[in-house]
Amino acid sequence: MTARDRILSAIRNSLGPRRPDPDAIAAEAAALLADPQVTRPPLAAPDLAEAFALKAMALGTTIDHVPDMAAVPAALRRYLADHGLPGVALQPAAELAALDWDGTAIHTDIAADEAAGLGLARWGIAESGSLVIHSGSDNPILLSFLPLHHILVLRRNDLLPHLEDYAAAMQGRAQPRNAILITGPSGTTDIEGSYVRGAHGPGFLHVLLVGP
Amino acid sequence: MTVPQPSFKERAAAALSDGALKIAIDRTTGTAERKRAAALATFPEFDAARAKGKAIKNHVIAHLDHYLEMFERNATAAGAQVHWATDDAEARAIVTRICLDANAKLVTRSKSMLGEEIGLPHALADAGIERVETDLAEHIIQLAGERPSHIVWPAMHRTREQVANLFRTGHNPPPAAEDPGTMVQSARRELRAKFLAADIGISGANFLVADTGATCTVTNEGNAELTTTPPRIHIVTAGIEKLVPSTAHAFALLRLLVRSATGGEMTQYTTFHHGPRRPGDADGPEEMHIVLVDNGRTRMLADEFREMLRCIRCGACMNHCVVYRQIGGHAYGGTYPGPMGAVLTPVLDGLAPSRDLAQACTMNGRCAEVCPVGIPLPTLLRAWRRRSWRERLEPGSVRAGIGLWAMLARRPALYRLASRIGVRALRLLGRRGWISRLPLAGGWTAYRDMPRPSGRTFMEQYRAEQARREGGR
Repeated sequence: MTARDRILSAIRNSLGPRRPDPDAIAAEAAALLADPQVTRPPLAAPDLAEAFALKAMALGTTIDHVPDMAAVPAALRRYLADHGLPGVALQPAAELAALDWDGTAIHTDIAADEAAGLGLARWGIAESGSLVIHSGSDNPILLSFLPLHHILVLRRNDLLPHLEDYAAAMQGRAQPRNAILITGPSGTTDIEGSYVRGAHGPGFLHVLLVGP
Repeated sequence: MTVPQPSFKERAAAALSDGALKIAIDRTTGTAERKRAAALATFPEFDAARAKGKAIKNHVIAHLDHYLEMFERNATAAGAQVHWATDDAEARAIVTRICLDANAKLVTRSKSMLGEEIGLPHALADAGIERVETDLAEHIIQLAGERPSHIVWPAMHRTREQVANLFRTGHNPPPAAEDPGTMVQSARRELRAKFLAADIGISGANFLVADTGATCTVTNEGNAELTTTPPRIHIVTAGIEKLVPSTAHAFALLRLLVRSATGGEMTQYTTFHHGPRRPGDADGPEEMHIVLVDNGRTRMLADEFREMLRCIRCGACMNHCVVYRQIGGHAYGGTYPGPMGAVLTPVLDGLAPSRDLAQACTMNGRCAEVCPVGIPLPTLLRAWRRRSWRERLEPGSVRAGIGLWAMLARRPALYRLASRIGVRALRLLGRRGWISRLPLAGGWTAYRDMPRPSGRTFMEQYRAEQARREGGR
């Protein structure tokens, strides 16, 4: 008998005789998700962007409101100048490549001690102030973890109210290798419970919130 | 591995006389307790969420075979290789084999209690593979050559001064100052090159998502993603109780887990891993292996300890435990400390060497009150006490003492006579209002004094009171 067989038969012996019906189990699982509003916190504000911003800023994330995608390079240059950063590693995404980067020191390689990285967030989640990124051919995961300053572009239209809404948005779609909900800059409380930002990942998380 | 260990009482006595340990425990558990209370104050839905979380875990446990097979099917479809291990030795062998087959020299590891449970650190050392712990707390205890003392803050028994000493010798260059900020920066510098040079990254999983085949980790430092992305191979070791039906179910439990563990609402990084690097992906491991570990869990399924399979490893029970806060995690002697550890350690290590853990409980019920999935921890500890009695594991003196008490308790007249003699004798012993020494109970009075009793038993006082009332009528 393989370990797999031994584990499964031990489970069946312990649980006793049943006739598992996958449809009934699925219905029971779905029923457990009914009425999510009863078991989750309300949004911090009625407006999604405001709720998102309140939660994100409470965690140390900074937010800059940008009218449209064309204004992203200028907003980025302001951030780089404010923090004395020499340049930025850019996510190799078509939507970013299409912007006018004249006057911005951009590069694609991500150094081990990269100063800053700019990428696109797929979604934002208002409930928790989280940003969702997906791995892919146009998104190296290390871009979100090696830089000290992580800058994400998020469109207002991509704001979702609650965590379950992200699960629903992905229902039936191809899952990326990595889906990551980023909620604030990297931090640790491992020494005496004292909170320190910038443990191994970025010490700064900056959002360019795009939209009128 | 069979070095003669000091007994639980010896370990507890050593912990109680360690002043620095008391300071370190108070600093972290005190903060955790306050932050959890604050997080719950802004989440009035917590009780309803807890009932839902408990129902989700019960549902999965009742259909564990179904969900394991579903998870295996979907993880395999995503390109991961799924392995099964009935016990810790099998799990160690699987992981070591993968490392040796890949000719791995350097392995990075992101914190996983399951990895500790199956003895992965020793197994890798025995196989001659360099292991680098990347979670800051695990890095601290790796430098100290210790085991975790808490499931969320493994190095919480260390004060900042002690961490500074470890980093001074363990880091090159040593940190410039002793404040936590400078020391965290030093660890960041020290570990960065290791992340990028590792052949294999090993992580645990907080959830196994059945309908997508994803493993999910929740972390704060970013070390988990730096562990699982650059190496050629990513290995996940996870207990079979980590299953959830879907991503949405994972989120329902996540709300409970984070608030209960750290008092936050979300960890900084909630990461789902679906298989290895896809064609065209910019980065990521070429292979992903998932080791599903039983190690006693199917045994728990058959008895009252099934309830313990709901545990999501938040650590709230130990943060609120009066015993844990006095002795810290190492005194428990197992992988898991505190109330949840006192329930799990007999499952993992056997009841005979760990029967003291269930006895070292005041039954104040705080652990069950704060448990986010409603595990009746005191009830389960009482179950271990009963089993220990049935299996005759108590020393002869304890059995004789309880036998004597039972004999008296069944004979009320004799019992009252014995109590009358007892309280008068105790009153003689406690001349200055307190009793600080007791024959046959030195273990009790070594650490605490007992108030001197009134000199009359409850029954005597009750009768006198009744007589007074009737006389006054």
